[in-house]
Amino acid sequence: MSIGRRGFIKIAAVTAGAAGAASVSAASPHAEGTDGPSVLVDTTLCVGCRACEAACAEKNELPLPPESDDVMQERRDTAPQVFTVVNRAEKEDGTVRFAKKQCMHCLAPGCASACPVRAMNKTPEGPVVYDPAKCMGCRYCMIACPFDVPKYEYDSWKPRVRKCGFCADRQAKGLKPACTEVCPSGALTFGTRSKMLELAKTRIYTNPGKYVQHVYGEHEAGGTSWLYITDIDLEKLALRTDVPEKDIPSLVSGALSAPPFVMTLWPPLLMGLYAFSRRRDSAKGEGTEHGKEDHHG
Amino acid sequence: MAHDFLSIYPAKLLEYGLAIAYLLMFIPFWRYVQGGKAKEVAVRVAEPRAAARAAVRAPRPTAGWFQLPAGVHLHPGHTWARLENDGLVSVGIDDFAHKLVGPARVELPALGELVAQGEPALAMGDEDRTVPLLSPVDGTVVAVNAGARDGKNGIEDPYGAGWLFKVKAPRLAANLRQLLTDGPARHFVEDAGERLALRMSPEIAHVLQDGGAPIHGIAHALAGDDWEQLAREHFLT
Amino acid sequence: MANVQARAVAAPQSFVREKILLGMGLREYVRSCCTKGNAIAAAILIVGVPILIYRFIAGLGATTALSQTAPWGIWIGFDMMTGIALAAGGFTIGSAVQIFGLEDYHPIERPAILTAFLGYVMAVVGLLADLGRPWNIVMALFNYGTASALFEVAWCVMCYTTVLLLEFTVPAFEWLGWKKLHAVMRKALIGLTVLSVMFSTMHQSALGSLFLLAPTKLHPLWYTPFIFVFFFISAIIAGISMVIVESMLSHRVFHSQVAGQHVDVDKLTLGLGKAGALVMFAYFFLKLQGVIDGHAWGYLATGYGAWFLVETVGFVLVPAFLYAYGSRNANVKLVRAAGVMGVLGIILNRLNVSVIAFNWNQPVRYVPSASEVIVSITLVTIGVLLFRWIVNRMPILREDPRFAETHH
Repeated sequence: MSIGRRGFIKIAAVTAGAAGAASVSAASPHAEGTDGPSVLVDTTLCVGCRACEAACAEKNELPLPPESDDVMQERRDTAPQVFTVVNRAEKEDGTVRFAKKQCMHCLAPGCASACPVRAMNKTPEGPVVYDPAKCMGCRYCMIACPFDVPKYEYDSWKPRVRKCGFCADRQAKGLKPACTEVCPSGALTFGTRSKMLELAKTRIYTNPGKYVQHVYGEHEAGGTSWLYITDIDLEKLALRTDVPEKDIPSLVSGALSAPPFVMTLWPPLLMGLYAFSRRRDSAKGEGTEHGKEDHHG
Repeated sequence: MAHDFLSIYPAKLLEYGLAIAYLLMFIPFWRYVQGGKAKEVAVRVAEPRAAARAAVRAPRPTAGWFQLPAGVHLHPGHTWARLENDGLVSVGIDDFAHKLVGPARVELPALGELVAQGEPALAMGDEDRTVPLLSPVDGTVVAVNAGARDGKNGIEDPYGAGWLFKVKAPRLAANLRQLLTDGPARHFVEDAGERLALRMSPEIAHVLQDGGAPIHGIAHALAGDDWEQLAREHFLT
Repeated sequence: MANVQARAVAAPQSFVREKILLGMGLREYVRSCCTKGNAIAAAILIVGVPILIYRFIAGLGATTALSQTAPWGIWIGFDMMTGIALAAGGFTIGSAVQIFGLEDYHPIERPAILTAFLGYVMAVVGLLADLGRPWNIVMALFNYGTASALFEVAWCVMCYTTVLLLEFTVPAFEWLGWKKLHAVMRKALIGLTVLSVMFSTMHQSALGSLFLLAPTKLHPLWYTPFIFVFFFISAIIAGISMVIVESMLSHRVFHSQVAGQHVDVDKLTLGLGKAGALVMFAYFFLKLQGVIDGHAWGYLATGYGAWFLVETVGFVLVPAFLYAYGSRNANVKLVRAAGVMGVLGIILNRLNVSVIAFNWNQPVRYVPSASEVIVSITLVTIGVLLFRWIVNRMPILREDPRFAETHH
């Protein structure tokens, strides 16, 4: 996939800018592990060519997506054999917009926290990956995901959970995820999260009125690796907008901190009640015996 | 589901208001649930007057010196049980026990108490000594004859108005198999009377002065201070 | 042949004949099993068990109506969650007798523990049917997903089922006549009861915690950060109500066993009714507090709001008052009716949280398939049959005279 001269200059410019910004951003604090790999999706730049769908299918050895763009007439969702889809929507003035949907690779993923056997796991490098060898198929990760990403192979006798893996193996080799590699229009930009956030905000502020003043994924579910900027309501592009800003695991951690306290407190409490009721019963028993003796005279 | 800051205030108002309302309602609710004093009394207790009247009208079969009506199931400890129309079982002492101890204070089990066949359940006696008697059936005491318990003169009419307490008996059929009725019951009471007669031969004239039937308080008359021992022998306690 | 028959007549009965066949010969026993009730049970099993086997061969897609948006259905919502809630009688009555010293309830303690044990066993079977890769359930023993409420559920259920099994060995050893082991287990009972209350507290509440991570998927009237408290309190209610219903049925069905005893089930039922009244009264207000805390009172005016009121007013507040009135006025029938309503209320609550009010904002909703319903009924039937098999043989509703307890 040749980038072309324009692409080269673009990338060079971005890298230079990033290098400059890096010295600035080195001073700003980042929580550990939150400056991992990230992708900025600029829906105003997406032309709906669906090269990302094809690249993803090829890399993950999935069936290739249908050639015809007629499929975008309907809203599509990811599926057990489809890790990413591009959806289409129209603005009021008739301009067409597209958006790619895939796993958001949350910073504090609900699916990974939900998995009781860590088949769904957040790697320190960033991607949220799935290991079918550990999976017992409880599908709790599907309940947990606020973006409705994981899909299940219900028709198999040994079903797996299916979702985008952020090309973790490619990233380990220093490569970019397949979809970002092939995007011709620059809609997908791959980089560290802090840089992608800066890029997103820069675009928003330097183009007043063009974008919705919101970076989708900056705070949703506590922050995700995939960030979206757009000039259309993302709900129209099949992305859930009712996602809370609190990360999913923190919703559960309070209740989950109770068991150790129960294990500590219940035994002495219950044994105390037991001893108390025994003492009361034996006192009552003696009393009754006295009574009985009185009866006998 | 984000909600705006200002809705906290009505929410807190509702929360605390509801909590206070609940506490105020909880107190009467607790008292209501715990109330219902002596629940067993709510069970309809049919006076055994009808049965007693029938017993009086029918020619009273005697067992020698002592009365023993029909329909009464006798326990070898000289207590009896009878199934009443309302499904409960009335319990009392028989004429033998009544005459043996004489006019006496009677101590009855409390409402709700469990009684067991062959276990001590009630007692009779005077101011300083009491003799326990055995219950003829298993069950839960649902009614007590307050008149018999509180009355100064002890019991009159031991099979009728002198019923002592009523029991809900879950295994009446099994219990009744252990008890005596009709012929066997009469024989038993006659034997008991004969045993008494053997003890009282020297005084027989003294006791039979009113025509042959023993009077009240035979035990006192026969054994004096040891009346309690004699009574316990017969009551199997 | 004649020799064998003579031996069978003369010698003491073999273990199989005495313990398993209830003292009857094989042919006699089989004939005694040909009752109408057994015919219905057999019909259910003949249909249900093959479907269950088919599910393991063909996968979940072929036998359930689960979808990508509705990953959990009634096998989780009813068989697992409701089953575990209704088995809460084990720890409620167990603790009442062993810890709070309410010896009066001893006669219903063993049937309650048996109900709990079988309830949990069938819940686990239901879970295995629902898991996509049930053979990997052992992974939970070695991979510690401790950030997950489901991990806590899995481990606590595992530990608690073990505790129930150990508690069940007490009547089982009596049945087998293993005196030494029985004495050991009998002594361990107080410790086991403390553990049972501890594990029950944790997993009954953890079943509620499961839904904490889906605030956008569970309807606001049911979603609250306190859902785990609600699940624990409603488990106590479920335990009390279920024991009332189960003792009513047991004492009717197994009348011959209980006929010769002092047990006044009516009095125990009234006592349980009192407790049920108070807990249900408090729970109703707890639910309202949950709605207010979530600022969700506006939803009460909607269709789901009406349904919420059906669950809380109709199946919590109303039976609370029935319990109160019935236990105060010694009306055992009313208390039993309230018990049935209480059980239905718990079933309704668990189904609401897992299936009905879950994904309330999705365009296409989950409706269980016929196979799912049949398998659920089959699992319940198997549980009931096991209950009956055990009660007919082991000293659950009656005492074994060799091991008669000395009550003070």
